[in-house]
Amino acid sequence: MESSTSTVKRKIHSLFLTSFMLIFLSSCYSVRIVSRDGVPEPNPLNTSGNFYKGKKVNVIDKTITLKLLQGEFYLVENCASGGFYSIEYRPTLGGVLLSAITFGKKRQVKVKYVCLKQSE
Amino acid sequence: MATTIKHEIGSWNTFHNNGPFPTKVLYETSLESKGNMPSVNDRYNDAAKEIQSLIKAALDSQEGFRAYGSAWSMSAIAHQKDNMHYNAAMNLKRAITDDELAENTPFLQENLFFFQCGNVIKEISNFLFDQGKSLKVTGASNGQTIAGCISTGVHGSAWDDGAVQDCVVGINLIIGDTPDDIVYLERHTKPALNDTFANRINARVIRNDGLFNAALVGLGSFGFIHGVVIEAEDRFLLNRYVKKIDKNLALQLAQSMDFENSDFQIPGETGIDGKPNRPFHYKVFINPYVDDPEYVVEIMYKKPYQSGYPDPVPKIKTAVYRDLILLFTHIAENFKNSIPALIKVLQASILPPLDLDVTGTLSEIFWDAGYQGPAYACSVGIDNSDSPKALELLVNLAREEGPIPGIYAMRFVKQSGATLAFTKFPVTCMLEIDGLIWDPKDNNISLPAFCTRTIEVLQANNIAFTLHWGKNADWSFPGLIQYMYGNNAQEWIAYRSALLRKETAELFSNDFLQDTALAEYLTDVPGTLAQSIDL
Repeated sequence: MESSTSTVKRKIHSLFLTSFMLIFLSSCYSVRIVSRDGVPEPNPLNTSGNFYKGKKVNVIDKTITLKLLQGEFYLVENCASGGFYSIEYRPTLGGVLLSAITFGKKRQVKVKYVCLKQSE
Repeated sequence: MATTIKHEIGSWNTFHNNGPFPTKVLYETSLESKGNMPSVNDRYNDAAKEIQSLIKAALDSQEGFRAYGSAWSMSAIAHQKDNMHYNAAMNLKRAITDDELAENTPFLQENLFFFQCGNVIKEISNFLFDQGKSLKVTGASNGQTIAGCISTGVHGSAWDDGAVQDCVVGINLIIGDTPDDIVYLERHTKPALNDTFANRINARVIRNDGLFNAALVGLGSFGFIHGVVIEAEDRFLLNRYVKKIDKNLALQLAQSMDFENSDFQIPGETGIDGKPNRPFHYKVFINPYVDDPEYVVEIMYKKPYQSGYPDPVPKIKTAVYRDLILLFTHIAENFKNSIPALIKVLQASILPPLDLDVTGTLSEIFWDAGYQGPAYACSVGIDNSDSPKALELLVNLAREEGPIPGIYAMRFVKQSGATLAFTKFPVTCMLEIDGLIWDPKDNNISLPAFCTRTIEVLQANNIAFTLHWGKNADWSFPGLIQYMYGNNAQEWIAYRSALLRKETAELFSNDFLQDTALAEYLTDVPGTLAQSIDL
């Protein structure tokens, strides 16, 4: 009897914990742009249980330092097919603060992208 | 030269996590680059050589070898314990040229296209669209490879057109490691291409209806499907409607498919005589845990293509929290009586939105699949006239011996010519239940037990049925294949035995084929089964 009460308590506890995580993790968000007609470059070894499952994922996670007279930058990436299937950008509080305290000279970049599958 | 990467993976899983299955090696072949080898035929033949070298290595090691594409099948049909070959990068495609057309062929040259095995439905649709053409049918989404589709019988709900394999008019198989082991199969009564085409792909031609029909839904066991010739048609639009209609009317339509003389009318979808149009697609959704007097139905009408319609693909796609789905599954596993309530909560995300009428091409309507997580699906094929009875039996099964987390749907498909097509009835109703994989606790029924009971219930009620090759089922159920296919099963085994040598039959076999008792090799079949038949 006691053990079944504690099982129920444990289940309720895990329910509350999951709900809490669901609500508060929503504050870390990402923006994903996907090609309507594109076909993603496949990767059979990617078994992640999310949008990227079966897709070949490329990650850019770096901080760019700009010189005094430089105001913008772009990253040059190579997709063999010549195009992107999806791009996901994740802003972080740390990245915003870093840019603010360095007057925009240090820019944190966290981007995930998938290339288009090569069309033969 | 085409190149292959070897991954020693140890275990392999389906896209929807229906495994894992122990697997030694996964091969991944990439084509030679266009710049180094501009001719499509040269690159195709170069890839064939590469596949033959892999087959030779497997034969020399007395191991198995099996190709797969997107791994969408939930059964173990794609799995092979020794060597699996991932073919998605083998995606050459081209139109058939004038000089390749067979004399007196019933097909139009402009409608014939050649696709290598790893092309997924979406890229085929894109390619055809640029030629003003379309596939005749697809499944409910677009991520399967063409070879995977035809091997397992992927279907939509096009009850005048059939399943994906029914668009195939020629199959190029690699059945071994010698030059003679590249074959091109066609029906002898409906030839499409001539020997010029076969010579371009270095293939030996066999025109034989029986062999072609057996290999068409070949379960990945007739050899390595290297390419297929497909008959497309002019691109078209579908007007799609989702309505809630009286349950009895929905079932009456399922049973008769007589829309023209029914009370079901959609404004604007009538002929000049005022009678309802014949739909291209009809699908009925059933929540087994609710006694709803109305069912949600999805219905589509085929229209000539014209540009300028609003984009049917939404600009913003949303999805339910993955964690929420896991949470619901967790609750369902621990409190089985919560399943009906959870399905009701999720119903809005599962079912298409009501009264949202859209127009689009086939590939726009059956666009990308959203859910990437663990899932199960059980799908039985029955004659559409049996569909109300079968639905009642299986709803009762889910209620009385379940509940299980999922909802039923019925789709309808025209009869296929393939020997082992599960769409074998004049109009086959595919009655399916799908949902989230659950770990049975709280005395709930398990998925394997539910699959077994599905077979037992249908057999006990004398309902002839088939099972979708790519979905969950009790494939080892005694006498199952014989019950479903009768003589066709023996015919399929005989044609396979005639085409393959004993060692290659074993090479292209797997546990699924053993479980279904289709791996048998007959040594005394007439050689004529694998020879061309002259008209």
